[in-house]
Amino acid sequence: MLFHDWLNDSSKIILFDGGMGSEVFKRGIKPGKLPDSLNIEQPNIIIDIHKSYYIAGADMCQTNTFGSSFINLKNYKLEDRIKEINLGGLENIKKACPPNHLIVADIGPSGEFRPPVGKASPDQWISSFEKQATLLEAGVDLWHIETMSDIEEMKAALEAVRIISKKPIISSMTYKKTKKGFYTIMGDSLEMCVQIQEDQDADVIGANCTLGSDQMVDLMKDLKHLTDRPISLKPNAGQPRINSDNIAVYDQPIKDFVNDIGEMIQLGAKIVGGCCGTSPATIKEIRKLIDSLEN
Amino acid sequence: MAQEQFYGEISDAIVNLDKEKAIDLANRAITEKLNLLEVIEKGYGDGVRRIGDLWEEGEFFLPELMLGGNIMQESMDILLPSLKESGTSASLGVVVIATIEGDIHSIGKTIVGTMLSANGFEVYDLGADIPAEKIIETAVEKNANIIGVSALLTTTMFGQKKIIDILEERGIRDNFKVIIGGAPVTREWTEECNADGFASSAVEAVKLVKNLLKK
Repeated sequence: MLFHDWLNDSSKIILFDGGMGSEVFKRGIKPGKLPDSLNIEQPNIIIDIHKSYYIAGADMCQTNTFGSSFINLKNYKLEDRIKEINLGGLENIKKACPPNHLIVADIGPSGEFRPPVGKASPDQWISSFEKQATLLEAGVDLWHIETMSDIEEMKAALEAVRIISKKPIISSMTYKKTKKGFYTIMGDSLEMCVQIQEDQDADVIGANCTLGSDQMVDLMKDLKHLTDRPISLKPNAGQPRINSDNIAVYDQPIKDFVNDIGEMIQLGAKIVGGCCGTSPATIKEIRKLIDSLEN
Repeated sequence: MAQEQFYGEISDAIVNLDKEKAIDLANRAITEKLNLLEVIEKGYGDGVRRIGDLWEEGEFFLPELMLGGNIMQESMDILLPSLKESGTSASLGVVVIATIEGDIHSIGKTIVGTMLSANGFEVYDLGADIPAEKIIETAVEKNANIIGVSALLTTTMFGQKKIIDILEERGIRDNFKVIIGGAPVTREWTEECNADGFASSAVEAVKLVKNLLKK
């Protein structure tokens, strides 16, 4: 399939999409609502955002299903609509995806932590992710399990997807930078996370969110020594501030973000894109950069 | 000196996440008839503040933060009844306190709640990740004087404003004094929210609440 061809082509840098939440807010949706519910309530907004990323030059985009695992939907009292929301997400992205581009199934954290922080158990996580993955499997080319701050939850999500799918998986943790190096907020070190991701047979090792692009460059410097697998990075556009409309805004100039992405590619990143605060305008500039490197 | 050492032991027990010791020391403080307000402030409060610092420095992570908060809470459950018995008289006022929806950070809020209880307020601590409506509902039900809302994330602090917006919409804004807190909260944000005040530490929060209720 196309994704493996891309991975095997040493000159190919794969361009992923950018942030979804920030684009949704730009279109007048108020924070506090689960963006995934728009898959069925206002699908045109979501189709429009996917299209704008593909047109900007993304090789692949991910479904608007970040929060559509069973447990997370339950937190929003939407668990009864799990099928509609996930299948709606698939339909929307299919309408936007041009030929020779890929659709990535997006799976985010359940929102429930394990003890002592919360009450979730691995079995609950697996069952929750499996329900979501079963719905998405038929329409996607690969998976992106992302923004996980607990390696145990990532492990559960990888197991759940592997139960029902043989398609490639990008496994992205979210880290914060500490004096001792990169750790998740649950205290998992970068090294330990990579080890477990590899043991669980993730095809691509990744990181996304929390870190701005400059810190993600530093993470890449550590990460490249820890794995031989392809690496995927989707940093935030710097750190947010809250504006007068109570919306998080990211002021980092696109030029600075793209420069950092260039450095990540030089260091060996295979898949690049953006997370919170990035937009189709960001992806368009990264496309130009990648094209200039390929030529 | 001996007391300072005792406070230090309590603080260390909290930082070492040694629940047994923290609870044992709480019981000792009661049997030895120590000044429990000082025990809470200089012992337990100090320990939890140190845990907060260790989180900032990247030495501690969420599990340690939560365990520390839980041990603090259990110790308070032992100390507070004795404190009330020792007769700081009737309640100075009713406080409903919570961390806003979408935010699971509870330690700062728990310290503030505990310090207010310790100072004679009747405190209803609803916990973390609480919807604005639920906080307001409880405040109305308990006939609260003060609503305290904590947020530790820039992405959740807009929920503090939501509380005030709802109170205004319902025409009951003047029934309560609303105070806000949490790392990203500033004086500017307090004014923008139209909140009645903010505090950057538990001690300040107690002073703030006392001052607000004088007015």
